[in-house]
Amino acid sequence: MIVFDKVTKKFPLGNTALSDVSFEIDDNQFVFLVGQSGAGKTSILKMITQEIKPTSGSIIVDDFDVTDKNFSQKIDLRRKIGIIFQDFKVLSDKNVFENVAVSLKVIGADQSEIKNDVKKTLELVGLSKKETVFPVQLSAGELQRVAIARAVIGDRNIILADEPTGNLDPKTAWDIMKIFKKLEGKRTIIVATHNTDIVNSFQKRVLVLKEGKIIKDQRKGGYEL
Amino acid sequence: MKEIWTSIRRTPYQSLSAFLILFFTLFLSLMLFVSLTFLNSILSYLETKPQVTVYFQTKTPETQIFKVRDELMNSGKVLNLKYISKNEAFNIYKQLNKDNPLLLEMVSADILPPSLEIYAKKPIFLPEIAEYLKKQGDIDEVQYEKDIIDKLLILTNTIRRTSLIFFSYLIIMSILVLITMILFKIALKESEITLLRLIGATNFYIRKPYITESLFLGITASVLSFGIFALLVLYFNPFLQSYLKGITTLSVDVFNYQLIIWPLNYIFFTIVFISTLIFGAIIASAASYIATNKYLKV
Repeated sequence: MIVFDKVTKKFPLGNTALSDVSFEIDDNQFVFLVGQSGAGKTSILKMITQEIKPTSGSIIVDDFDVTDKNFSQKIDLRRKIGIIFQDFKVLSDKNVFENVAVSLKVIGADQSEIKNDVKKTLELVGLSKKETVFPVQLSAGELQRVAIARAVIGDRNIILADEPTGNLDPKTAWDIMKIFKKLEGKRTIIVATHNTDIVNSFQKRVLVLKEGKIIKDQRKGGYEL
Repeated sequence: MKEIWTSIRRTPYQSLSAFLILFFTLFLSLMLFVSLTFLNSILSYLETKPQVTVYFQTKTPETQIFKVRDELMNSGKVLNLKYISKNEAFNIYKQLNKDNPLLLEMVSADILPPSLEIYAKKPIFLPEIAEYLKKQGDIDEVQYEKDIIDKLLILTNTIRRTSLIFFSYLIIMSILVLITMILFKIALKESEITLLRLIGATNFYIRKPYITESLFLGITASVLSFGIFALLVLYFNPFLQSYLKGITTLSVDVFNYQLIIWPLNYIFFTIVFISTLIFGAIIASAASYIATNKYLKV
């Protein structure tokens, strides 16, 4: 479960990213974060991963009170989260297998577990025939599949996707979203997006942000600003 | 090993630069260290050479001379002391003038003064010893070369201080240059490090490849530095032997252990090799540790 309670984030130069934001996301729920650029979508994702800290309010992620002054389990928290970026952030000097395996290597998984899990996950994202291929030889859609595989492998039960289809053509974007569809109900998935069609067609919970505030929280919503 | 080699192959110029800097630092440090060790041991050897010679009056009884000798030995400032009686002095005189019978006829043992040749533990004690001797009765003359000793003291102190400053400068410089080189290397992987942090990698996991690669480069540079140093020493050994002719042994005090550095021996070479390895490993790992710190704050 993810709980934001009256969370405010002000940056040192005075601009406010989030203002008094409160919401709860249940385990295995699928949520879209929508809003214009600068509305605060990425700030919410970064607070969940502890990249930035709120100025006030409290955040609970999977039983971790991340706003507690004595919170020292950042690494444990991050091992439960998979992140997908708009620009993929795939490691250029590693092949597809190694890119996905890194997610398990950092938690100290053994070689046989890594081999099995990577193969299964690459099958899930449709890249099982490209294990040894390097990123430079992959299309944008394939790169995003690698990023998704890296995010969902292992026990990462919270998937955060920041504009996952932002750099993709409409058809590829749909292919990518089909992978998210496969994971629905198995992981908590939060997707920050501008893609109106996808949000409307999924009919999932939508949190609408405007100028750092949640202005709508629709259980089965569409893209409305 | 495979990962280290892959990393070197993927960033060959940065790795080569880091290796060359390490090699330059280690080789220079090694040459400096060994040269200074030799210089210090030669200085220590020379420090024991200056002496005070005290000539007693010819009528001075031996008991009086022995009393002075015992007091000096008990002072803790004297390394060695040699009593030269009238007869011994005459023998020396005869030996020196064996080709001049006229000079030998003119001198007998009675007119030669007995003397003490005093070697101090440190040159700094020589003026004190000379002052003490001057206050004793029955002394004809106290000889010691004050100017030479003062110059030697100034020289040894200056060399020791300068070498310490130069050595510190060399270490700081090499660590800074290495940090810069490793930072160049890491900067290429900044996004990878950020990603690793976000997916839950520990600081050790992120640092490990950089530290192991640096260690590999540091150890390789150490071995190469020592290899070239050893070849140079073997090449110059005949010159050293003629230059240090007359000096049977040179040693340095290492934690109260007298390490013999001349004649060249395996123990000295082994210690130098191990020290170079440790020094190379410490410099390389410290530099990569400091360099990675910058990117571990996500």
